Amino acid sequence: MSLPSEHDTDVRLSRRIVTAGVAGGVLFSGLIARLAQLQLLEGQKYQKIADENGVKLELAPPLRGNIVDRFGQPLASHRQAGRVSIVREQTPDLDASLREVARHIDLPPEQQARIARQARQQASFQSTIVKNELSYEDFARMSLLAAEIPGVQVDMATTRSYPRGRDLAHVLGYVAKASADDLSRLTEGATPEEAELLRKLFRHPDMRTGRSGVERYAEEWLRGEPGFRRLETNAAGRVIRELDSDDLAPTPGKDIGLTIDAELQRAAIERFGDESGAAVVLDIETGAILAFVSTPAFDPNDFVNGISHADYNALRENDRSPLYHKAYDGTYPPGSTFKMVVATAALEAGINPEMRVHCNRYYHFGNRTWHCWKKGGHGSVNMHWAIKGSCDVYFYEIARRVGVEHLADVSKRFGFGQTWELGMTGGRSGTVPNDEWKRRALDEPWYEGETLNYGIGQGYLSTSPLQLALMSARIAARGRLIEPYIIGEGPRPDKPIPDAAPLDPEMMDRMKAGMYGVTSEAGGTAWSSGDLGLGGPRLAGKTGTAQVRRITEEERRTGVLKGDQIARKLRDHALFVCYAPADDPKYAAAVVVEHGEGGSSAAAPVARDIMATAIRRDSRRAARWQTASAPSIITSRGNQ
Amino acid sequence: MARAARASGIRFEDRTLAQTLGALPWGLILMLISMALIGTAALYSSTYTNPAEAALPARHAFRFSVALALMFVIALVPLKVWLQAAWPAYFVTLAMLFGVEFFGVTGGGATRWLPLGPINVQPSEFMKLALTLALARYYHNNLPNSNGRFFIHLMPLLMICIPAALIFKQPDFGTTLALFASGGVLIYLAGLYYRVIAAVAVTALASIWPVYQFVLEDYQRERVDTFLAQLTGQAVNTLDDGYQIEQAKIAIGSGGWQGRGFMEGIQAQLDYIPEQHTDFILTVIAEEFGFLGATGLLLLWVIILVWGLIIARSSASLFGRFAAAGCVATVAFFILFNVAMVLGLVPVVGVPLPLISYGGTVMFTTMACFGIIMSVHLGRDERLSSQGVI
Repeated sequence: MSLPSEHDTDVRLSRRIVTAGVAGGVLFSGLIARLAQLQLLEGQKYQKIADENGVKLELAPPLRGNIVDRFGQPLASHRQAGRVSIVREQTPDLDASLREVARHIDLPPEQQARIARQARQQASFQSTIVKNELSYEDFARMSLLAAEIPGVQVDMATTRSYPRGRDLAHVLGYVAKASADDLSRLTEGATPEEAELLRKLFRHPDMRTGRSGVERYAEEWLRGEPGFRRLETNAAGRVIRELDSDDLAPTPGKDIGLTIDAELQRAAIERFGDESGAAVVLDIETGAILAFVSTPAFDPNDFVNGISHADYNALRENDRSPLYHKAYDGTYPPGSTFKMVVATAALEAGINPEMRVHCNRYYHFGNRTWHCWKKGGHGSVNMHWAIKGSCDVYFYEIARRVGVEHLADVSKRFGFGQTWELGMTGGRSGTVPNDEWKRRALDEPWYEGETLNYGIGQGYLSTSPLQLALMSARIAARGRLIEPYIIGEGPRPDKPIPDAAPLDPEMMDRMKAGMYGVTSEAGGTAWSSGDLGLGGPRLAGKTGTAQVRRITEEERRTGVLKGDQIARKLRDHALFVCYAPADDPKYAAAVVVEHGEGGSSAAAPVARDIMATAIRRDSRRAARWQTASAPSIITSRGNQ
Repeated sequence: MARAARASGIRFEDRTLAQTLGALPWGLILMLISMALIGTAALYSSTYTNPAEAALPARHAFRFSVALALMFVIALVPLKVWLQAAWPAYFVTLAMLFGVEFFGVTGGGATRWLPLGPINVQPSEFMKLALTLALARYYHNNLPNSNGRFFIHLMPLLMICIPAALIFKQPDFGTTLALFASGGVLIYLAGLYYRVIAAVAVTALASIWPVYQFVLEDYQRERVDTFLAQLTGQAVNTLDDGYQIEQAKIAIGSGGWQGRGFMEGIQAQLDYIPEQHTDFILTVIAEEFGFLGATGLLLLWVIILVWGLIIARSSASLFGRFAAAGCVATVAFFILFNVAMVLGLVPVVGVPLPLISYGGTVMFTTMACFGIIMSVHLGRDERLSSQGVI
């Protein structure tokens, strides 16, 4: 019953099934050939790509270098602080988790909203910081609760820490997250690649940069070199595991040793109590700064994770200027503490120290009258008596004889009128006026009457507490041109080339005798502050009062207002410069008590107690990290 | 009557269930099960790092069990029932395709699903099987008296083109190609003259450029450009269109001879390849088991398909031969196209690798095809009339 055509069809169908099968086989062979090409011929190439594909290098921030005092006490170091963070993909309801966290720790709704927004902008598996710097109680509570709140994690983060709080706020400065401004400053002069690396580095949540003080000046020294962590990540960037990365570990930043004695610093600040002011203690032998006080101060710890606007404004508006480094950036008229400079100028000008000037309180020049501070005057005084009694009339006279130009010259040789670069931000030169300065600054010639004010450290003259301490140290060291420094180990600024003519040692001996008289002889303005209470060593110094306002003739007739009669901010600054022990000087210091009124009553006792502490502690004994007697072994690394 | 000698002597209807089951090609079934197990393992390797995908391998295995049961059911349905059901199945499916056009549910940018009561069905998937059965039925009835006349192939062409056009419009390019491929194979098997085939091939080649220039949308042209660029080894934008295929090549290439070992594939474990557990599952096998593993997998498929062709060839009825061959062609198309795509030889069109790729639809289509093949195997000695009567 099979028709021929049907048979033909059968045969052809069978044949074509085989043909189709063969064709399929050819296609399969083609695929296998392609597999062989990719896997066998080009396999190694792709293997290499694949091996690199899964490994990402994550920038690992270096640990910032520590800053220690001369005995190795940590001043800026690190601390582990509890931290709460949240991972979006691990919670079904981000907002609910945040609300739950807010029930246990302080987290206002607007902050919750900010955190939620931030978390939603990031990849779902990345963690967002909810709160840094947990208190111990919060940390303990959150550690217990974290397991029950979806997505919430508690861990420890390394944070810059200033264990001595406010004590060295202005010296150390502080670190903060790099702002756009910081970044443009930090990447200045860097190659595009370096700049890109820095920008990436500073985006890291643990990374901070110095904003002021030594932290900022020595940024590169402290920062260290970033390393990398080898992370195996999937295509979406999720970290699968961390691979061995020891060979890429970051290089920690280098430490810095300051010349500061942290205990002396603390004692000095405590001695100020509620007063605001500045104090500088120098090691006379080396110029090392042992204490560099500006009080009140801010707490740099508050800045590390960002300070609130309210807190910052409170600091800024505080009339005792806690943000301001009074010892370095503050400039004050030196008042009578300047009289040694005037006296030195007089000696250099050939004035006989035994020459006597009669003081009946008034000094007439031109058609004006100048006053001595002492009612009834000092009578007839020579140089020694003029210094220890701080006779203004004597100094009006000799200043006039010496002249402004010579005064300015001697001032500079004592260290005034220049910025002493220490290796930290800030520093003011103050003003050492002369005719040229006045023409430049005020477009007026110098009037001889102004030289009289110069003679008692008033007028245009302004000096920083550091300069006053340096003056004192140069006197105590019999005219040796000591230079101050604070970086014992670390990046030092380039040493300025001293071009000043030296000060004559014998003249300095006269100044020392005068300063000794101030504290230790009858008629001295601070005779009660000479005894350091150490049963031997005595203090030698000089008082000063810096006028903040101008006293009118009217007021002078009715009696100069004092104390509670005038607003605090109009009261005089009290100054004292000194060195000790008087017979074998080791330390020199300057103290400014702002609006403290009397140099002898307010500043001298503070200075005396600070000096006593320095001697008792033997603050100048060799520093832990190296000798302080070779100030220029380390030069700066081209910073600033 | 050479074939009658091979007849078992027991008529299909007279067999007990045990006898019927015993007559199934168990070697073939074992190979299919092995294939599904390989797929499950590859899925496990590519998904276990991601908790969200942890359930996929088990679901894959479960789906295979259901599909295997479906295969047995289809296999045990007598071949003549399939012959009788061919036209109704084709027209109902075609009607459903029209239905999709008007009432379809859109998902993932394509309108493929038809809401039928509580479930959405995908008529285009049924059409692969229905078209094969309908063409088999058509040739079963018309080929014996055609005397080699050319025009009997026009009807099948129409039968392919109408559903293909509807599916192309959804759009579902992969299924459209599948219909043309398996339908084309059947027309070829039915004896279309080689000179006609040559003419069609020349026309197709000649129309490539006009189609590229005037028919394709911009984004489609871009895809073709990317494909050609990577094929010729030019640099492609690796974050865009070329990314997937580039990463797939890295995965496959890095497998080398023996592969990195099970669950050791870097590309596989790290989710570098989009769609890796579906269309690009071969990259996992190639990376982790190397050239040997990937070739082994292909050869296993070749054996399965050849077995299917042997069954097709051994069938006494034209319907059985065409139906089985058409089913083999359907599955073969999936495999060839998927592998060629993953290897960067053809543009990326969403075609999965049967039994290996995760995804329910292709699993059921594949196992249904093998159900038909086995039904043909069980009824290989039945000589069916034009209406299916023996």
